[in-house]
Amino acid sequence: MDNGGNESILETYLYETNTLLEQLDSIVLAAEQADTFTENDVNEIFRIMHTIKGASAMMEYESLTTVAHRIEDMFFIVRERSMDVIPHAEHGLLFDMMFTAIDFFRGEVEKVQSGQPLSDDIGKLLEKINSLIAKIQGEAETAGAAGSAPSAQPAAAPVPGTEPGFPYGLRVFFDEGAGMENLRAFMLVTELRGICGEENFTFSPADVETDTSTTETIVTQGFVLFFRMAADRTGAIHVVSGSGSVRGYQTFDGPTAPAQEETKRTAPAAEAVRHAEQKSTVSAPKAAREEASPVKSAAAAPAPAQAGGAHPKESLISVNLSKLNQLMDVVGEIVITESMVTASPDLKGMKLDNFTKSARQLRKLTDELQDVSMSLRMVPVLGTFQKMQRIVRDMGKKLGKRARLTLVGEDTEVDKTIVDGIGDPLMHIVRNAMDHGIEETEEERIAAGKDPEGEIILSASHTGGEVIIQVKDDGRGVDYDRVLKKAVDAGLASPDAEYSSKEIINFLLMPGFSTNTEVTEFSGRGVGMDVVKKNVEEVGGAVVLTSEPGKGMTATLKIPLTMAILDGMEVSVGSSIFTIPINNIRQSFKMSGADIIHDAAHGEMVKVMNNFYSVIRVKDVYGLSTGCDEIEDGILMWVESGECTYCLFVDELMGEQQVVVKPLPNYINTFNIKQHGITGCTILGDGNISVILDVANLYSAIQ
Amino acid sequence: MNNQVMSFMEDGTSARAALTEEMEQFLVFQCDALRVGIRVDCVVEALINQSITPLPMLPGYVCGIINLRGEVVPVISIRLRLGKPAADEQSVIVLNINGMQLGVLVDRVDQMVKLPHSSLLPMPSTNGQKLMCGMSSLPDGGTMLELDAAALLEH
Repeated sequence: MDNGGNESILETYLYETNTLLEQLDSIVLAAEQADTFTENDVNEIFRIMHTIKGASAMMEYESLTTVAHRIEDMFFIVRERSMDVIPHAEHGLLFDMMFTAIDFFRGEVEKVQSGQPLSDDIGKLLEKINSLIAKIQGEAETAGAAGSAPSAQPAAAPVPGTEPGFPYGLRVFFDEGAGMENLRAFMLVTELRGICGEENFTFSPADVETDTSTTETIVTQGFVLFFRMAADRTGAIHVVSGSGSVRGYQTFDGPTAPAQEETKRTAPAAEAVRHAEQKSTVSAPKAAREEASPVKSAAAAPAPAQAGGAHPKESLISVNLSKLNQLMDVVGEIVITESMVTASPDLKGMKLDNFTKSARQLRKLTDELQDVSMSLRMVPVLGTFQKMQRIVRDMGKKLGKRARLTLVGEDTEVDKTIVDGIGDPLMHIVRNAMDHGIEETEEERIAAGKDPEGEIILSASHTGGEVIIQVKDDGRGVDYDRVLKKAVDAGLASPDAEYSSKEIINFLLMPGFSTNTEVTEFSGRGVGMDVVKKNVEEVGGAVVLTSEPGKGMTATLKIPLTMAILDGMEVSVGSSIFTIPINNIRQSFKMSGADIIHDAAHGEMVKVMNNFYSVIRVKDVYGLSTGCDEIEDGILMWVESGECTYCLFVDELMGEQQVVVKPLPNYINTFNIKQHGITGCTILGDGNISVILDVANLYSAIQ
Repeated sequence: MNNQVMSFMEDGTSARAALTEEMEQFLVFQCDALRVGIRVDCVVEALINQSITPLPMLPGYVCGIINLRGEVVPVISIRLRLGKPAADEQSVIVLNINGMQLGVLVDRVDQMVKLPHSSLLPMPSTNGQKLMCGMSSLPDGGTMLELDAAALLEH
């Protein structure tokens, strides 16, 4: 079914369904927290299910259609009767069912994506939904029959067959506990007789004057009057509202009106019964789909009204990411070309007032263009964060741990590629925090003087050109001795050497390290934190772990805002030009040869702000043939990236420039020069190429 | 009627096929004393006096990268690649090898030649030249080695 022609439809289907499922997931999660669905939630879920059902039916995914349809049915009932129809004890069941359903949908959508056949095995899930519907239904029935709340229920109370010719109805309620309602009703009738004539109206119950047993009917269902003409009813309303001990009245029109109320009430019930009979329709979902149409028409009316409400998403469009990438590339070229034109050597020494003016305007516009096109790719991290809610919840249930996830700064916007890139790492970290961080039992936490409920704080914030994402748990923290022992066992550490706690914690990020000897469902496969490190580094970021024993662990991801453009400092070494990202540079200064301190291994160091830092000469590291050798002739740059801080010795600073990062050609990458601190290159305004240095890799390369 | 058209087509295509089968076009360049030819289908363009940005930490024969209208293209020196002494070469031939662009620094771009397919002979198997995949006599009397472009991408 997914041949070329359907590709775009399929793509849209996948995109829409995934978005809806994400939305659904967050609604249900929030609802579970509150332990109830608000009216809005119910409407939203109803709408989502309806959309999924429709789209799946169009794509002929029978199982998806059937399940979505049943859930829609269920929420149809809930919407009609409010959340109260579900007994409190069943709420947990409902949420579980919703999560199972979401997982089912996700699984199926994934199968669609990978072109696998869909599963037909939905019997169990359907049964779950059906039994829940049955429960709700039962609850609703009893609630309806009791009629204990006359103010809420009377509209639905059975109305005796209206006499033809008396289309205008009026239902009157007397004050609660007024007594002798039948006689009060009779007095009303007598009064009305005088206004509009006996032949122009009827009433029910009929024999109010003589039969005292009608009292009860009037109390529960009100006293119903039918008029031949609307004017008569208007008159009657005056009488009714004027007379004492009348609590309220209700008007309803035409014989059809009450009838409609009647059907509206029974429709879901009948529907459910039909479904119960058709439990076996799983194998023949065609029937179920045909059945969908009446519900659809019933549901369609309120749904658009709901959608028309306040949906901020209406003004959003979805664009293929590759188009945005392309735009970014073109904009990058424009920015470069602009400076190539305006700074052209041909213009040197010419007096060009108008040109300069226009050039300045052009610069302003290209800057703006760049900002806008960059902001296009910015998305809030909220979506990624919310996925973690689900992981914490599921793992908490599985592991029997109680923990909550607190989100901070989830509105922080980052480049789309980065959002995609941090999804997996974050998941690993959160899983690790749940699995290894949070204590096994609540008693353990209480004994340590902590809140029995564990807390994981997921926060995002901007600092300069970086996004900082932190996952902080208040669990046990890292057991340094165990980690070190494990590292020694795994051959990552030498048993004789002394390690600082910082070094020990970094073993966690090494490949093949996993402290949990048991492979659990969630973590402990020996891949994990090293994958985190790799993934984060792929988007140009760094991971830092810190821990306080007994107080918890914090994983900090520092990720550049965007990878496509960076602010760089151009430096020269001999005839070569290098670009160093501005946010790696702390300071640059001149020093004399006398300031250099030599160590035993011919290493050089300088003292800056009461700290010693090693000096790395770019010329020597890269074996360049030209460049300064004397410290006095060049300049020292104090750089910092993640954990490493040192001084780079270069010839000259050439100026700050915003550059478009270009990856190195694949051919060059096969030589692994990335590990030597060369991450990419950029084309300068004059057409020359500058090499972008990765401060952290350069440092580890010479170690 | 239809048949007639068909036969026309067949005639036309077969004639063209015969032409291309016989002739192969090569770009011949000079490398030290050697004359080397590359099939023109993988040649993108030839550049002169292009400034090459050297990259550190690479084998000697990788000269660096060039900016080809906004695209970054690696350049290797064919002299050094073949183990010959370096010289002040100035010409870069940009190749497209299976979608990957690679510049080759050569002494001098010589000429374009069309050679009959049959004149292309395999290298003697005892010859240790891994980068060459054939040889042929040129109309002007010299001998051309055929460069195996795909082999250039291997180190």
